[in-house]
Amino acid sequence: MKLAFQLAYRNLIGAGLRTWLNVGVLAFTYLLIIFYNGMIDGWNQEARRDGIAWEYGYGQLLNQKFDPYDPFTLQDGHGILPIEKTENLVPVLIQQATLYPQGRMISVLVKGIEPNQVVVKIPTKLLNESGAKIPAIIGKRMAASANLKEGDEVLLRWRDKNGTFDAGNITIAGIFDSQVPTIDNGQIWVSIKKLWTMTELSQEATLFIANKDYVYKQRSGWFFKSQDDLLKNLNDIISMKKVSGSFMYLLLLAIAMLAIFDTQVLSIFRRQREIGTYVSLGMTRLQVVQLFTVEGSMYSLFATFVGSIVGIPLFIYIAKTGIGLPSMEGTGVPIADKIYPVYGLGLIIGTLALVVISATIVSFLPARKISKMNPVDALKGKIQ
Amino acid sequence: MIKFLFKGILRDKSRSLSPIIVITIGVVLTVMLSGLLKGMLTDMIDQNAWFETGHVKVMSREYAKNKDQLPNDLALLGVDTLMQSLQKEFPFMNWVKRIRFGGLIDVPDAQGNSKGQGPASGMAIDLFSPHSVEARRLNIAKSLVTGSVPSKKGESIIGNEFAEKLHLKLGDEITYIGSTMNGEMSFKNFRVSGTIRFGVAAMDKGAVIIDITDAQEMLDMSDGAGELLGFFNSGIYNDKKAQLVTEEFNEHYVQSDDNFAPIMFRLKEQNNLSGYLDFVNSMSTILVSIFVFAMSIVLWNTGLLGGLRRYYEFGIRLALGESKGHIYRSLILEAILIGTIGSIIGSVIGLAGTWYMQVHGLDLSGFLKNATSMMMPSILRSQLSPELIYIGFIPGLLAMVLGNMLSGIGIYKRETATLFKELEV
Amino acid sequence: MKFTFILLLILGFLLQANYPDPISVLTKVDANMTSGTRISESTMVIHGKRNDREVTSKGYTQGNEKAFTEYLSPEREKGTKMLKLENRLWIYSPSTDRTIQLSGHMLRQSVMGSDLSYEDVMDTRKLAEVYNAKVTGEETIDGRKVWVLNLVAKVEDATYDKRKQWIDQERFVVLKEELFAKSGQLLKKLVSSDVARIENRWYPKKTNYKDVLKDGKGTDFIVSSIQFDAVIPDYVFSKASLKE
Repeated sequence: MKLAFQLAYRNLIGAGLRTWLNVGVLAFTYLLIIFYNGMIDGWNQEARRDGIAWEYGYGQLLNQKFDPYDPFTLQDGHGILPIEKTENLVPVLIQQATLYPQGRMISVLVKGIEPNQVVVKIPTKLLNESGAKIPAIIGKRMAASANLKEGDEVLLRWRDKNGTFDAGNITIAGIFDSQVPTIDNGQIWVSIKKLWTMTELSQEATLFIANKDYVYKQRSGWFFKSQDDLLKNLNDIISMKKVSGSFMYLLLLAIAMLAIFDTQVLSIFRRQREIGTYVSLGMTRLQVVQLFTVEGSMYSLFATFVGSIVGIPLFIYIAKTGIGLPSMEGTGVPIADKIYPVYGLGLIIGTLALVVISATIVSFLPARKISKMNPVDALKGKIQ
Repeated sequence: MIKFLFKGILRDKSRSLSPIIVITIGVVLTVMLSGLLKGMLTDMIDQNAWFETGHVKVMSREYAKNKDQLPNDLALLGVDTLMQSLQKEFPFMNWVKRIRFGGLIDVPDAQGNSKGQGPASGMAIDLFSPHSVEARRLNIAKSLVTGSVPSKKGESIIGNEFAEKLHLKLGDEITYIGSTMNGEMSFKNFRVSGTIRFGVAAMDKGAVIIDITDAQEMLDMSDGAGELLGFFNSGIYNDKKAQLVTEEFNEHYVQSDDNFAPIMFRLKEQNNLSGYLDFVNSMSTILVSIFVFAMSIVLWNTGLLGGLRRYYEFGIRLALGESKGHIYRSLILEAILIGTIGSIIGSVIGLAGTWYMQVHGLDLSGFLKNATSMMMPSILRSQLSPELIYIGFIPGLLAMVLGNMLSGIGIYKRETATLFKELEV
Repeated sequence: MKFTFILLLILGFLLQANYPDPISVLTKVDANMTSGTRISESTMVIHGKRNDREVTSKGYTQGNEKAFTEYLSPEREKGTKMLKLENRLWIYSPSTDRTIQLSGHMLRQSVMGSDLSYEDVMDTRKLAEVYNAKVTGEETIDGRKVWVLNLVAKVEDATYDKRKQWIDQERFVVLKEELFAKSGQLLKKLVSSDVARIENRWYPKKTNYKDVLKDGKGTDFIVSSIQFDAVIPDYVFSKASLKE
């Protein structure tokens, strides 16, 4: 076996340019597989991080009567959780209201949140700092669709708990930039205390966002959605992207394998005399097959080597600087401006194994022919 | 000579078959990979186009300003005439009407009293016209959990989750309550023909899909529609063309001071898609060139092999007195023929495969662990584009010929004196 | 000095005394407007962004709790019936032959795309029961002398926390009204005209409702016939009558 490796190594190095071309294709394939999956994983982590940082926290405790997809449930879907049970929870009260920017009428959700919270990244501190009567913060999408800037005043009409109309100007105390559209589109964030006074729904909350120390205990009238429940949609998208990506790199791998296969066929054809010599010198045919197979699979080892030389610094660089992505608003998927790929050990080892094993298989296939060769004909170079 | 060589290729399978097969496979892979890549990068754009933006979209000016509110009271009227003129002016596009609407869905019990209700997130599309591709465009059939696409008036598809919550069965009656374009109350009974799951929670809860004619009646929008979407017949978004169409169309209405005059937007102008679109274009160019390069190396190998295999043949031909130049030229010519044949077959198969992958796609939901159907992206689709015609063909031919040229140089190195030693039997 | 002060005090008292007791004004308005039962036929003219529409309906009400409305035109709405019993609301639509129960918050929606909500139409509670009032001045509207009253809700569940009314001094009909949010923000304006003598009351047959936050010309509500304290059989306010 050692001999096979030595011979294979010499043969490949001796073949010069063609070896390196094959190695190049293979190395590229395997860099691409790692890169693609690294990007997807990076995106996944980023999106999870964003989702958790901006919206989900460490899970949410929702009022039993509240259905996030049914705005009609907002009217009754709130309640009071005794203060001692709200440890590690940030209350959010959601109410419907109507916003009147420039004579237009926009239905919005007003979300009251504790301004001093640190569980989600929404810059609720700004609500404390503003001296306005009803300070509010909105996301960049909402700002764009309602045509609002920081410092603008705009009329909001809502109802209190008895259905009595109330209205007043809210002041945009800040516009935040988040990748998560679900905390932005059609929503206005105010201090929950302000919303309690506005609606007379004192101490009420529609949902609570948990922080990392929260431990769920059964609360009647409330149900808990864990991080995983909340991130399910994202997980589905990610696994989808992985599967569709694998089709792409399997095709690319096929091209690389075709290259190795082809080279093998060529070298076996050209080196009949060599094969004949090996056999006549006493190697079994199987040993010769092995030699050629090792030679073929050695492309993948070379590719690993070349790939590492190119890839390791490149990937480290990309992972540091990230890859800038253009805005993907409207694609409905939270994607950051920059993705930092994440390369897991499993991904790298798995990719290596995939490339080495498939290279070995395609090297073996043409080499089988050797076992059927007549050594005399081979020596004469007469096999067509 | 070409005829002679061609006969040789046809009759001597051993020298032509394997290179042709390799070239074919190589070209097929290149073409399909490029198409697939383009398709993958654009799947999110496509999804946007199919569901929301079209390749171009026509709305009334007022509707466009408030489009997030689904303001059907501001919808376009006189759409049949408008559609006709669009069809006439831009026949290379497929024009469809869409209405999006909100409201309530009420489910009756045996006595006809309300048993349950939920908010509706409705979409009306052309399901019934014989040539309509809307159902396929939105991948409705594949997203159905039970039942079928509505085939006659008064049928609707509803969200599977809603159906399960209220124990609705196929054929059950539901009532839509909402308001018409004019703000009047609107009621309509529908029979559930199917239940659907798109994989988007907000849509799955209240999804209602009905035919456009039902919606027009129900919402009192005869000859009206919220949006007219235009799709290139090729199925592929072409920004330059879309821009021309948009400019030409909007030109007609520049003078109009009607708030409800139609106005057209191209995909790139909607939903902030322009950055992503540019990114996709540059990204796919880079990746496709890398593929083409990799493929060239493979085919080059094949070319080399082709030349080397025939070492003995050339020796004999030299011995028989054929000039080196003639052998070399015939070798190259043969390579051109083989390369052309292989590339043509490969391109045809590759294009056909890409076309199939574009039209039907590959349903990946089976590969997904929990097999939830994501809206569109669970179907892997390729994108057929004009450059696919040459993207495999040129490297297929060139690499083959170059490989042969290189290996053929050996012919000139041979010396008649040593020929017989080499050919020694 | 002292004298001036007393004079001012007396003057103030006299001026005050010129204003009537606000509650009695409201009671008189209520006497015109509210009744035990009522049957009316009315037309709503809705000035839309693109066109004007007319909707006619016939309504039966009993107190504040029971209301029954049948739409007569346009053709699309004909035969649509609504029944409100306390907080519950049913709608019957002939085209679907369905009786649908709607939750109370549907009452907050606009009626047929108009500037009126169902609440506006159906809340027939007596003003004097809901509001504390104060007369703040007098003005003249279209040649008629009016008292200007400020109303502030004394119950919790008034839709509008504050109102300003211009009430005809002779006929005790609200000729103009402004409806405010709790914060004092003006929300709606009402202008009434065509005051007619019906039975022993004065009643404005035409009222324009205008949601001031919205662009547009508002909605005209025109009463073509009205009958007070008529006997309405109980079955009218039953779900069975919806289907008839």
